[in-house]
Amino acid sequence: MKVHYYPGCTLKEKTTALDVSTREAMKCLDIELVEPEGWTCCGAEYPLTEEKIVGLAAPLRVLRQVREENGDFVITTCSFCYAVLKRANKAIKDDPLKHKRVNAYLRDDIKINALTKEKTTGFEDYNGEVRVLHLLEYLRDHVGYQKIRSRLKRPFGGLPIAAYYGCRLLRPAKDMDLGEPDDPRLFEEFLEAVGATPVDYPFKQECCGSYLSVSLPDAATEASYRVLRSARSNGAAAITVTCPLCFYNMDRRQDKIKEAFLDFPGLPVLFFTQILAWALGVEKTVLGLNQHAVPADDLFRDAPAPEVTL
Amino acid sequence: MRVKLKAGPEVRKFIERVEELSGENVYACYQCGRCSAGCPVASEMDVLPNQVIRLVQMGLAEDVLHSKTLFLCASCFTCQSRCPKGIDMARVMEAVRHLLDPKGADAFGPGEIPPDLANELPQQVMVALCRKFSK
Amino acid sequence: MKGQKKTKRIGVFVCHCGVNIAGVVDVEKVAKTLTDYPGVAFSTNYIYVCSDPGQQMIIDTIKEKKLDGIIVAACSPTLHEKTFQEAARLAGLNPYQIEIANIREQDSWVHVDKDKATKKAVKIIKAHVEKAVRNESLEPIKVEVHRRALVIGGGISGIQAALDIADHGYEVLLVEKNPSIGGKMIQLSETFPTLDCSQCIMTPKMVEASRHPRIKLLTYHEVESVSGFVGNFKVRIKKKPRYVDAVLCNLCAECEKVCPQIVPDEFNMGLSFRKAIYMPFPQAVPGTYTLDAEHCLGLNPVRCGKCKDVCEKKAISYEMQETIFEEEVGAIVVATGYDLYSMQALGEYGGEKIPDVINGLEFERILSASGPTAGIIRRPSDGKVPKSVVFVQCSGSRDTEKHNPYCSKICCMYTAKHAMLYKHRVPDGQAIVFYIDVRTGGKAFDEFYQRTIEEDKVLYIRGKVSKIFKDGDKVVVWGVDTLTGKKVEVEADMVVLAMAMVKAEGVGDLLRKLKIQTDIHGWLAEAHPKLRPVESLNAGFYLAGCAHGPKDIPEAVAQASAAAAKVGDLFAQKELSHEPTVVPVDEDKCSGCAICITMCPYQARTLDTERGVVVVNEILCEGCGACAAACPSGAAQQRNQTDDQIFSMVTAMMKG
Repeated sequence: MKVHYYPGCTLKEKTTALDVSTREAMKCLDIELVEPEGWTCCGAEYPLTEEKIVGLAAPLRVLRQVREENGDFVITTCSFCYAVLKRANKAIKDDPLKHKRVNAYLRDDIKINALTKEKTTGFEDYNGEVRVLHLLEYLRDHVGYQKIRSRLKRPFGGLPIAAYYGCRLLRPAKDMDLGEPDDPRLFEEFLEAVGATPVDYPFKQECCGSYLSVSLPDAATEASYRVLRSARSNGAAAITVTCPLCFYNMDRRQDKIKEAFLDFPGLPVLFFTQILAWALGVEKTVLGLNQHAVPADDLFRDAPAPEVTL
Repeated sequence: MRVKLKAGPEVRKFIERVEELSGENVYACYQCGRCSAGCPVASEMDVLPNQVIRLVQMGLAEDVLHSKTLFLCASCFTCQSRCPKGIDMARVMEAVRHLLDPKGADAFGPGEIPPDLANELPQQVMVALCRKFSK
Repeated sequence: MKGQKKTKRIGVFVCHCGVNIAGVVDVEKVAKTLTDYPGVAFSTNYIYVCSDPGQQMIIDTIKEKKLDGIIVAACSPTLHEKTFQEAARLAGLNPYQIEIANIREQDSWVHVDKDKATKKAVKIIKAHVEKAVRNESLEPIKVEVHRRALVIGGGISGIQAALDIADHGYEVLLVEKNPSIGGKMIQLSETFPTLDCSQCIMTPKMVEASRHPRIKLLTYHEVESVSGFVGNFKVRIKKKPRYVDAVLCNLCAECEKVCPQIVPDEFNMGLSFRKAIYMPFPQAVPGTYTLDAEHCLGLNPVRCGKCKDVCEKKAISYEMQETIFEEEVGAIVVATGYDLYSMQALGEYGGEKIPDVINGLEFERILSASGPTAGIIRRPSDGKVPKSVVFVQCSGSRDTEKHNPYCSKICCMYTAKHAMLYKHRVPDGQAIVFYIDVRTGGKAFDEFYQRTIEEDKVLYIRGKVSKIFKDGDKVVVWGVDTLTGKKVEVEADMVVLAMAMVKAEGVGDLLRKLKIQTDIHGWLAEAHPKLRPVESLNAGFYLAGCAHGPKDIPEAVAQASAAAAKVGDLFAQKELSHEPTVVPVDEDKCSGCAICITMCPYQARTLDTERGVVVVNEILCEGCGACAAACPSGAAQQRNQTDDQIFSMVTAMMKG
């Protein structure tokens, strides 16, 4: 089966581990991921002011392309892309003025016939026809945990893993519609389905510091530290994320966290698709573990999961 | 020195502009402070989120437009998810940021990132950061 | 024209209402124009017709000019219809021959064009003249009254209402679904602002209620259904089996000792345990044990029979059955109380998963000398005496977004009380209260709150708590001080949430059975928010206590006594009058199609299958007119609001 998949620019450059593990995992579930032709960056930020309409053009262009390729929905794994695409989609459905203005921008786009390479203008207005799904919801609602369980080659043996939602996946609740921001279940159910034990800890949706790691590094260091520390002190052997930025803040910058907070011994950071791929039988060498600053190889063993010392 | 609270058209205009840009009713805020209580970076801010919206309510444009706070917001939406009046404080922050003087207020642009860091950063970070904090 | 009496002499009185009407409508011109209209024998204008001289003028004019119908063109009938009906009666005119033409709310208050408003006023009055010439004289329908009251709910409000009604001299049935009366007040430790011991001030009333010769105390009973109407209610009440004879039981407690079943004690809010056979609290009224069948091993001597074996009074019988019986009452007081909003709804405060985050009632039980910790403040998780306690106001209240938009009124006061009592008992402990506002409107309330800060050194921080979570041994609270602009974090030993008051759990079903009006939050709806606070719009139902909305004990008691006084008003009447503007059935025209029966919200109409016509119980009919509008044959015509009258009014308005 083929479904549309939007990786986002970061997954193709700096965080290929997330992209490759996603593809490999989906192959094990007989799903081939197809990227929309000529996709571009989604813009990474959903414009929060009523007047920055042009910021909606890029994400909606991606969705329009999916529609042109006869896709009903598109899956994405990066939380930022997910938030931008989903919210932009909802914005033009809810607000006729935005719909009109964004489509005015998009109308100038040139359509190229795939066969004849002929250039024409004139796409039909985009009306929000394509649904945006995060891979976690796709796995829950379309693939089903039962199917996943039946395909598991290496169940995780109850390894305690902390699910980290970050900010973009759940908030604002009305737009994201993935559950109650202060009491979510989506990610935990996924971990149970692959045989891991989800760890309950109070920082699962507290901000990791986001892009402040560039403009105000100390604040981001502390924010990420608090998340990692909470996960660890509640018994987690690893923390899993869906966002390249969270990964950067908590994995690549973990050395800075350890420098600033000497009591923190460290915690491996994994992408949830690496967990899924491994559990479904994908080879360790393909998971992209060499991209991790904090070594995570030990977690991926054929032997039963190691005991966690707190 | 007393702050002279004005009620004239420019003040109204400022408040209306913030409401227009953010799509939020700033008068709905009853200053409970929960946004500030949950904000991950509020301790670094010179003006807390609830104080930002308070300054807007009072029409004190100068005070709010000159705060460092506006460039510390990570848009994590914790404020929005916990506000008992349903105000999206992140949108108010962005609206106020947009009313800054375009020439003077470029708090963070691509030029501010050191080149070796730029090579390491995921694109997502650079795009998001620069779109947020520059005009 | 059917019904038109050309010889009727109608008087028109156009009110200025100061400038309310006269400021827009040219009232003199209006009065003058009506003088020549057919049917009008007299027409005038006056500055304030509702005043004493105004009414006297109307009375005198009716007599002098021998008027047999009047139009008062003034404000809405909801304000002064009764005033003028009474005036008419004093003048010897049937009260149903008067018409109120609303030229204020329907005209002068909603238009600015004076010319058009004046013309509209003329049209309105002409229409009413057309109606008036066709009006019949009517007599109110007389109804008997059963001078006996039902009070549903045995908390402080129900008890107070029952005592007052019984003291008036009437019999009262006091129905309480729990094994004992007492409600929430008996669970409290001390009450603000006096710090009276709650049980000490309440138990005398409870005992009085149980001993009062005119109060039938029906505990462990529930109301099954109510039918009928004001003065004549038929109530079916269910008696739940206690399996213990309340009279024989001598409280020796031997049964409790041997019972093997352990159940979370709901009186102690789950902080301790009780047995399946239990007495809810030492001062329970009636003083008897009750066997909770849901948790008993099976009410079967084969499975267990230990309690029965040790009962020397032979008071225990597993054969008791549920029984349902019917009673007749004339008035019903609904005093079903409240519950606290569930902590599960507040995920950011732990969602009820953190043992040391508790609500106000749990803290009351911890404070109580007869509670699970014998009055020593200990925290639930490990029994340690907490050295740092955080109190969080407005938990689930004043939230328009996800929870309850209203203010729960009592939390500011009881939080101050809790903080004060904590400091009295743990003087070296730290108490912090996070608030948005502090509301202390009652007598001696603000002084009490100031003492909490000035004498007991409780720290009040203005800022709503964002998150509460467990970190090892401590409960971490993230708040903010909006007054100094600082984000704060407290590592507390225990947190007490002032949870919102919400409608009592399970009460929805009962209220549906009573068909009583509630507001969108499930609180009972009063007949008028300012002027009729203790009556329901459903005649015969009275409201008392928190079932009507959040309030403290002094207000609940005041409201209960007020409700009792209203019941007294009802019972003091020889007989009740019901508005005669009902919809009778013209049996010559009725085909028995029964469409009107489905339209009636009061179930006033039934089909007489033998004769094939509909019959109406005029006492139940409230004159809403829905059946009249639906009736295809015109057999249903409302008195003094017939189709003929309505059409003539429309015609008059169209003609101008």
